[in-house]
Amino acid sequence: MSKKILSVDDDPDIIVFVKTVLEENGYTPLIAKNGEAGLAMAKAEKPSLVILDVLMPKQSGIRMYRELKSDPELKHIPVIMLSGIAKRTFLRSQEALTEFGDEPVPEPSAYIEKPVDPRELAETIARFVK
Amino acid sequence: MNRNKLLIVDDEEGILKVLSMSLRHEGYEVHTALNGKEALAVFEKEHPPVVLTDLKMPGMDGFQVLRRVKEIDPDAEVIVITGHGDMDSAIEALRFGASDFINKPVRDEALRIALDRAAEKLEMRGQLKAYTTDLEQMCQIATEEVRRKSEFQDKLITSSNDGIVATDEKGLIILFNPGAENIFGYSRREVVEQRSFSELYPEEVAEEFRSGFRRKRDKRGWGWKEVTILGKGGEPVPVRFSGALLYEGEQVIGSVGFFQDLREIRRLQRELVQSERLAAIGQTVARLAHYIKNILTGLQGGMYVVNIGLDKDDKDKLKAGWTMVQRNIGRVSDLVMDLLTYSKEREPEYRDCFPNDIVEDVCELMEVKAAQNKIALVRDLDPSISQVTMDPSAVHRCLLNLVSNAIDACLFDLSENKEWRVSVKTEREGDSMIRFEVTDNGAGMTSDVKKKLFSAFFSTKGGKGTGLGLLVTHKLVQENGGRIEVESEPGSGSTFTICLPYRRDAGDGIRRRARAEKTH
Repeated sequence: MSKKILSVDDDPDIIVFVKTVLEENGYTPLIAKNGEAGLAMAKAEKPSLVILDVLMPKQSGIRMYRELKSDPELKHIPVIMLSGIAKRTFLRSQEALTEFGDEPVPEPSAYIEKPVDPRELAETIARFVK
Repeated sequence: MNRNKLLIVDDEEGILKVLSMSLRHEGYEVHTALNGKEALAVFEKEHPPVVLTDLKMPGMDGFQVLRRVKEIDPDAEVIVITGHGDMDSAIEALRFGASDFINKPVRDEALRIALDRAAEKLEMRGQLKAYTTDLEQMCQIATEEVRRKSEFQDKLITSSNDGIVATDEKGLIILFNPGAENIFGYSRREVVEQRSFSELYPEEVAEEFRSGFRRKRDKRGWGWKEVTILGKGGEPVPVRFSGALLYEGEQVIGSVGFFQDLREIRRLQRELVQSERLAAIGQTVARLAHYIKNILTGLQGGMYVVNIGLDKDDKDKLKAGWTMVQRNIGRVSDLVMDLLTYSKEREPEYRDCFPNDIVEDVCELMEVKAAQNKIALVRDLDPSISQVTMDPSAVHRCLLNLVSNAIDACLFDLSENKEWRVSVKTEREGDSMIRFEVTDNGAGMTSDVKKKLFSAFFSTKGGKGTGLGLLVTHKLVQENGGRIEVESEPGSGSTFTICLPYRRDAGDGIRRRARAEKTH
């Protein structure tokens, strides 16, 4: 059975695009449109990898990431951050959150800035899902 | 000076001897001379304050001695000795400045009285002199003090950066400091006692001074205000001005005006505006680039999916990819339209329309997005609104922006388990306006966000907003002679209200009105 990969994004374009890339590379795509749904699906399905958009309404990708990484059953799942904001900006926001008293969390396994190249995405996934 | 020094002049040696012995006995230091020439020599050497001289002497007589002595020392007391009964000579001598006379033969008593009187006079003159010297000294000290003070004030005026211009009571300029030279461009020479303030001050300021001079009311001065003066070359110079009338008692004795040069401040302000504009342009470009990059991502993604569909002959994939391409082409076209609307003047296009139908139209367009996100989209339309003349495409555009924003406000709301709703309400306002209200119970805005709402390219939606929507809405509302209002509370939602004028018949009235408001 092919590996399950969860993509959490609110942008319909990204949803279709990532879903297609995943299917093309032999994975089973799981789709969630916000952080809340994403977290629930991660708990229920235990995917091999999560592709997460940083900026989403409702529960943002940043918050979902922190919750993912502080859940003992989910924290081992590799996460690829997908975003329109630069990696540096994202990392700085994490430092700021830590300074405000949140538990420090490890950096994401990979960080891909939009626009996403399908080959780069496939190769990055392959590095973490054997 | 020894006040007891005496010079006795007489050609009769006997008399000289008797008098000098008697006077020395009284304590005087007595010098004697037998003739006028000798007398003057002794006088010059000894400077006795009192001279006793016989009038009738061979050679230089007593009158000459008297005159010469008075020439040498006007303060010297000269007592003349006259022949018995020779009143004429005595009077003559007094006229020449003798202080007293005694008759021959000289009697001790008369001599003593004359000498005492001379001594008294000398004493008084000495005191007077001392007083005078004191007075002079005090006067000098006071003068010095006044001079120092005036010099200090002079320096204050001269070194002031502000232009200071003072006039007399007729308005003639009597003081023009370097600060004023710098501001007005005239030199002190060209102005002081040459020109009236009327020639230098702007008319409004000059008129105030003139009326101040005329009225003798207790108007004393004017607070700071900004005016523009004309420099020597006719160039306008922005200044801050304040002035005062100068009084002596109730009488106006002149005026003074203070001018602060605002050219440098204005230049800095212009530079600031310029650099802010550049920064705004930079921000604009960055934001636009970011937004376009997002669209590009969608287009590239769409191409990828379409290619897969073509390769695999997968109709679903083809459809999905094509939808992506279409959607992103739509975004590009919206962006371009927004930019065009924002950047150029647009005349409202008035047509007959039904405002409630426009609202229905907009709601239909947004229905899918609302439903997908479990947001209730509610209409509350005033049925009494029928066909009117308005700019329907502007109304449509504004409402679409507002409703779409309202839905986003719900999407961005972090509250848990809220029943989100967006409502659109129409209502008549008076008999010439229609009110459109778009209310949401989403995230709401802080006052900080509210302040920036209508500034260019401001967006709270990250890469998902251009920051043009409200700007365009604002512009359209203004072009249509309407108004836009916002109420918002963080956490409980926002209401955007636009009021637009309408006509039941032809649209001329509205057009005129919209133009009139634009020019204000």
